[in-house]
Amino acid sequence: MSKATKTKRVIKVRDKFLVFIMPAIIIFIILIIVMAGILSEKMIQNLSEDALESSLNNQADNITSWLEKNLENFSSVKQTIEATNPDDEELQEILDSFYGYNSYAKDGIYIGTSTGKLYKASESTKISENVTSEKWYKDGLTRVNLNYGQTYTDYKGDSIISASGIINLNRDELMVLAADLSLDQISIIVNSGVKMDNAYSFLIDTNDNTILAHPDTSLVSTNINSSSDKLLSGVAKKIDNQDYNKEEINNYLVSLTQIDGTDWVLVSYIKKDIVMSSIHVLIRRLAIIAVFAILLTSVVIIVIVNYLIKPISKISDGVTAMADGDFTISINSSSNDEIGIMSDKVEDFIVRMRDMLKNVALESDKLQDQSRTSDVVAKSMYEASEKQAKAMQNLNSTVDELAKAVNEIAINAQTLTEVVSDTRSNSAKANESMQESVEISKQGKTDMEKLSFAMTQIQKSIEELLLSINKVGDASEQITGIVGLIGEIAEETNLLSLNASIEAARAGEAGKGFAVVAGEIGKLAQNSADNAQNIAKLIEQIRNLISEVVTQANTSAENIQSNTVLIDTAVETFDKIYENIATSNNLVTDMINGVTKVDDVATNVAAISEEQAASADEILETSKQMVEQAENITRHSEDVAANSEELADTSEKLTSYVSKFKLESDDEE
Amino acid sequence: MKNTSKILKRILALILIVSLLPVTSLLTACNSSSGSGSGLSFFFTIKDTDDDFRLSLKESVESMAKAQGASVTTTLCGSSVDQQVIDIKAAAESGKYDAIICVPVDSATALQLEIAAGDLPVIFMNNKPDEDVLKANKYVYVASDEYQAGRLQAEYMYEKLGKPSSINAIILMGERNHSGTIGRTEAVKQYFKEKNVTLNIVFCDYASWSDTEAANLMEIFFKTNQDLDVIFANNDTMALGAITALKAHGLSTSDVPVAGVDATADGCKSIANGELSFTVYQNAEGQSKKAVEVAIALANGNSTKSIEGADDNNFCFYVDFEAVSKTNVSSYQ
Repeated sequence: MSKATKTKRVIKVRDKFLVFIMPAIIIFIILIIVMAGILSEKMIQNLSEDALESSLNNQADNITSWLEKNLENFSSVKQTIEATNPDDEELQEILDSFYGYNSYAKDGIYIGTSTGKLYKASESTKISENVTSEKWYKDGLTRVNLNYGQTYTDYKGDSIISASGIINLNRDELMVLAADLSLDQISIIVNSGVKMDNAYSFLIDTNDNTILAHPDTSLVSTNINSSSDKLLSGVAKKIDNQDYNKEEINNYLVSLTQIDGTDWVLVSYIKKDIVMSSIHVLIRRLAIIAVFAILLTSVVIIVIVNYLIKPISKISDGVTAMADGDFTISINSSSNDEIGIMSDKVEDFIVRMRDMLKNVALESDKLQDQSRTSDVVAKSMYEASEKQAKAMQNLNSTVDELAKAVNEIAINAQTLTEVVSDTRSNSAKANESMQESVEISKQGKTDMEKLSFAMTQIQKSIEELLLSINKVGDASEQITGIVGLIGEIAEETNLLSLNASIEAARAGEAGKGFAVVAGEIGKLAQNSADNAQNIAKLIEQIRNLISEVVTQANTSAENIQSNTVLIDTAVETFDKIYENIATSNNLVTDMINGVTKVDDVATNVAAISEEQAASADEILETSKQMVEQAENITRHSEDVAANSEELADTSEKLTSYVSKFKLESDDEE
Repeated sequence: MKNTSKILKRILALILIVSLLPVTSLLTACNSSSGSGSGLSFFFTIKDTDDDFRLSLKESVESMAKAQGASVTTTLCGSSVDQQVIDIKAAAESGKYDAIICVPVDSATALQLEIAAGDLPVIFMNNKPDEDVLKANKYVYVASDEYQAGRLQAEYMYEKLGKPSSINAIILMGERNHSGTIGRTEAVKQYFKEKNVTLNIVFCDYASWSDTEAANLMEIFFKTNQDLDVIFANNDTMALGAITALKAHGLSTSDVPVAGVDATADGCKSIANGELSFTVYQNAEGQSKKAVEVAIALANGNSTKSIEGADDNNFCFYVDFEAVSKTNVSSYQ
């Protein structure tokens, strides 16, 4: 690793910034310059073309208006002459009076006739040897309204144009009025009327493509068709094609326009290089500014990056020192940005690490001591625990034997308990049977006593029955007497009824009803007498029956008497049985009590011996565990011994590592 | 300095227009979303309807708009440039209109007319303003290409005269500075120049579209005793005036063929009678139809790019001129 980092080429952040950012900035700046150049070139070309065009139009307007003005001026003179229709003398006067009226027409207004006469102002120097062959005359013949003809050279050798036209003066001869204009004035407009720096204009007559006006006067009156100049021949071509649109010819911006009312074409041109020179200046300046900007940017980047990465290099140095184990360094930063925070935090980190490593060193020293001590302790503990284990094993076997003995006792006691328990349950059953016998005999005795008592009751009842029956005999005697009385009464009644019926018969009809009642009473008395006799018979029968009952009751009483005696004997027997059983019951109870006591003792013995056995087991278990633990302790103390040896090694290593860190500055050591 | 301020003004104008475009398109979008003309309202201003062509323009603009479901209010402003500006300003301020269709009294006033129209698009007709004041999708020109008319005239006559190497010609021009005058005249000259034919213009003057003016000029021309092969007139009316003068001077149109432009009723009659040799039919209906089509597109905020006959800048929309001679005159009568 350290080798790899050493072989790694270190490139400074500043250099990286420059390497990555500067090309981008340079490219951007170049792009901006190129764009600015292209755009401003287009713009300036457009502006220049517009400027050229407007200059051209302005000139054309000036030429047109100048021509028109003069034409109007001449026309008004013509109209004046036509209106006055003068004779020769008057005409001369008029021409004289108008001479000098128009300063551009040096020769004034003049009139040629088909007869070859020339009327002109007296002061005019105009010469015409053959009027009818003059250009102005021939041109003038083609129109009435004044108009300009083509340019020509006059008698003085000047290039002029003539405005001419037929003047109608009611004469036989044809008259043409004309006025000459020097092209000088138009040349002035063409050459000095250009409203754009470094632009030039020239005027062409399209009838024969001759130059009427040009900054280079030597070119005036030459034909552009045969010109070797590319600009002029290019313009000639355009004029032939009637193409009056602006165009770039031979590195010139060229604009053309027709002059109204003439066959002239005005051409303006400017060298493109001149137009574009400002662009070149602009681009040069931009380039210089760009170079300065790039240099300045580089310097600014270097300064800024240096300023910014100064704390970082401190941190970098610190971190490098830390990597080498030196924690005595200190990183201080006054910066308040992220880098400042970073160096503060690295500083904190160094301090904490330094403290921590110091502590680690201290602790590892202590640890080393402690591990040594613990090694010794572990060894002695090992020995002790071995001894303990052996002792415990001895104890273990002793307890084992004890446990076995107690177990035997327990088993014996258990057996005894079982026997006693059986005995007790048997005697309990005997006691129960005994108890049942007592109960049964008690029951038997009470039943007997009840029977005896019942017998006695029956006897008494029979006696009372006899007495009652006897009373019934008395009552039936009395009833017999009553019945006899009834019989007598009935007899007397019967007699009374007989008497009554006799008496009634006597009474006659009046006693008839009474006779019937008396008859009835008689019948009733008869019936009563009959019933009384029947009752007497019945009572006789009852009396016989009662006599029989009494006889039988007496017999029953005698039988019962003898039964009672038997029962009493049985009761006595029962009493004896009961007493015997009660005695044996007591004996059985006593026996049960004895057995119970034996049982309790045996049970106690069994429980105690079981408890002893359990305790012995517990002791055994405990001593086993103790043995195991003693063995564990032995093992652990072996481990501890081993660990403490390792620990000792580790702490030694730790101490050696820690000692590699530089925690105290050299001065402190 | 002057130039830079001009450029600045242009930039400012451009910014204004760009910022106003969405507003106008929004406003127009309220009326109709597509290219439909229903519900749209146009203001049509023209000098007068005294001329057959202008009458035809007025009538066909109205009928074409009606066919598209749009309504047209026509105002005649007479020859007054000021009145036309006032009319357009009033129309724009009324807020009733979606576009202005204008036959300018003087094409030089186009910029003033555009300002008077406020935010409304202006479709110029018949009299071409300077291209500097035209703007795609805003201020456009619908007409026939004047050069085409001149070329057709020259082409016909070149053939008729048997492709001579030299021609003595009279050109009777319309009003000075009128686009028709300039274009038609230029085209005739240009055509012969291209054919390497020497064009001797024995007479060339402004007859201001008038037959009497043309006849007067012809009378004066005859005094010059120059040879004459052919007469090109910028319109039929002047051509007929020239024929009258020819006849008065004892010449026939078989000697000196005459070409006009516009294919007016009189012009066609004259062709049928074997006097006028050639005219060019300026399709008033076609122009009106195109003008209404462009007006609907602009009022709806749609691009005019796809409209047929547009030039490269979308400034102008041309309706073809049609050549009319004895062989086909019956279909134009």
